[in-house]
Amino acid sequence: MKKLASPFVAAVLLLSSLPAWAAKPLLIVATVPELADIAARIGGERVRVESLAKGKEDIHQVVMRPSFVAKLNKADAAVYLGLSIEDSFLTGLLAASANPALRSDPIMQCSGPGCIDCSQGMSVLERPETLNRAEGDIHPQGNPHYNLDPESGARIARNIASGLSRIDPANAALYEKGLKEYLSELEPKVRELKARAAPLKGVKAVSYHKDVAYLGRFTGLDFIATVELKPGVAPTPTHLASLVAVMKEQGVRLIVREQQYEAKTVDWLAERTGAKVAVIGTMSGSLPGTRTYLGLCEANLKALLAAAGKE
Amino acid sequence: MLSLSTALLMVTLPCLAHAQDTVPPDADELKALEERVTRLETAPAKTFLSQFNPAMGLALDFALLDRDDKADFQFRAAEINLEASVDPFVKGWAIVNGSEGGVEVEEAALETTSLPWNLTVRGGRLFASFGRFPHYHGHELPVIETPNSIDTFVNGESRGEGLEVSYLFPTDFYLSATAGVFDQIGAENDRLDIAVARPFEDFTYLGRLNAGADLGDDHSLELGISEAWTPKRTMVEDATVTGSPFATATRKGTWRALTGLDLTYRYHPSSGGLYKGVVWGTEVFVNNEQRFDPATRLPTDRVRAFSGYSYAWIKLGRRWRPGLMGDLTEDLDSARKLTKTYTAFLSCDVTEYQRLRLSFSRREDNVPGTLVSNTIGLQWTGVLGYHVHGFRDR
Ligand SMILES: [Zn+2]
Repeated sequence: MKKLASPFVAAVLLLSSLPAWAAKPLLIVATVPELADIAARIGGERVRVESLAKGKEDIHQVVMRPSFVAKLNKADAAVYLGLSIEDSFLTGLLAASANPALRSDPIMQCSGPGCIDCSQGMSVLERPETLNRAEGDIHPQGNPHYNLDPESGARIARNIASGLSRIDPANAALYEKGLKEYLSELEPKVRELKARAAPLKGVKAVSYHKDVAYLGRFTGLDFIATVELKPGVAPTPTHLASLVAVMKEQGVRLIVREQQYEAKTVDWLAERTGAKVAVIGTMSGSLPGTRTYLGLCEANLKALLAAAGKE
Repeated sequence: MLSLSTALLMVTLPCLAHAQDTVPPDADELKALEERVTRLETAPAKTFLSQFNPAMGLALDFALLDRDDKADFQFRAAEINLEASVDPFVKGWAIVNGSEGGVEVEEAALETTSLPWNLTVRGGRLFASFGRFPHYHGHELPVIETPNSIDTFVNGESRGEGLEVSYLFPTDFYLSATAGVFDQIGAENDRLDIAVARPFEDFTYLGRLNAGADLGDDHSLELGISEAWTPKRTMVEDATVTGSPFATATRKGTWRALTGLDLTYRYHPSSGGLYKGVVWGTEVFVNNEQRFDPATRLPTDRVRAFSGYSYAWIKLGRRWRPGLMGDLTEDLDSARKLTKTYTAFLSCDVTEYQRLRLSFSRREDNVPGTLVSNTIGLQWTGVLGYHVHGFRDR
């Protein structure tokens, strides 16, 4: 019996492991470049990763291009930030992409076995108590810009790894290994960045858009107001006038401009208040040296330290 | 069974114990923590009967139009949009529009979400995939009034009752083919009573091919060709006038073929900052048909007529979008009767959900003699609640 069993077991093992290296790599479509970076690190050879956004866009206003539909149609998985941040393009694209693994859903954005929502288990800041567009229009499920906090990286990576293992269980061990390797690089680097951010603790600042809650948590920066009137609502002259007064009164010396927002208003504000401007990126690929997630985290911190005069 | 609170305590305890520079919590603190966790664990789930209600949105659209010094406040739309997944296989939506013309169901349709082989089927009352602007809802157009060519050739929006099947080609660029069958197409098409049964040759058959490709990072081009073919038409005869001994409905040797060609170019710099872009769109319609002449009781000679529009708008920043549109429309029965409409418009997106628009149109009808009319329009549009931008109608 034993004699018979072992070649049989060996054959089964061989056959079951065949698809693991013989199959075509999975096509993973990420909405933003940093998710593509992390997915590529975890999936390694087993995945081919593409990003829809290039990095310089406003995540709330990514334009639906025809090629995006073709990509999502062939995708085995869609990796996205969630919390409705991709509402302006992902739902519409999925509805057109005829992929049963990635169905468009008016409430969940993406539903189907290929959907990998990176906000799973994320502790979400600024969850609104009530929903009213009089309070702005684009953060209904709480602040979705958690990708600006380097400490979110580990959670994002875990979500991607578990999503990939669910879609492709035969290679789960491989994804687990990829995750471990990535975390072993990410975690010490994040600790280093955290230490470097220490001088920013308690420094008062103003940002253009309300996307810095997580960045504030990481750096200790105290964001007291936004240049925008409300999330997604352009500044009005009265709002700017009162912002100048508030900044002067509270001695705010730092303005954070996300690179996709116009410089004119911010420069005017800086001139009026004597504050310095730090230009940050909200996605990988937005600024030089931000091709990877860690690159983005480091570049943003450097910009903040320089503008705050804490280098 | 391990309760959540105990499990949580078991997890947090070692962490707390190992944490450096922190005093271990005393029994009271732990008890308080356990109470809080128990409260959370036993709290009733927030469910209510309307949990599965569809997403709902309401679009409001008003305009003041001044045509040759006669003005009118137009209540154009209070358009309720309901949408949700029905089950894992199908989603459904209804769009009910109230306007000064009354209340109408504009769309009420089901669409598959999980068919294999890149297929999608939609059916019900819907805006058929004919052309580009014909399936836009009024408030989504770049101009206040529907282009004359669409009003004349498609009879308003491409609304129809029927069924459509789309196939998305597995190509690297966007390519989709749609085939459909409808009672008839055109929201204001009153050639037939849509509530009356008819032979299949009286239906309108639709075909559309739509391709789109990125040209580099910043540009894209989209091309579509559509055909709406009605093989035969049932004419409702008034027996007292024609004296026909036959039934009131007689099929005659009549047919209609409406062809649409659309081209859209978009420039959206991905690196040029926010909210900048140019869109240029052109659509041409060709109508070929053989009608029925009640006087001779014979099919008329075949008539062919052309129409179309071309427009461009520029997005200057977060708010402002100026643009121009020109429209040429031949009369369906007499190609010598030509109407030209020129429109200049300026939109201001106050926010994502509120828009103001000012427009000036000049319309010239060439027969009999040249008739000119000028229209100044001011439009105010707002969207409440759920609103999603589809890929087809973007
Ligand atoms: Zn935001």
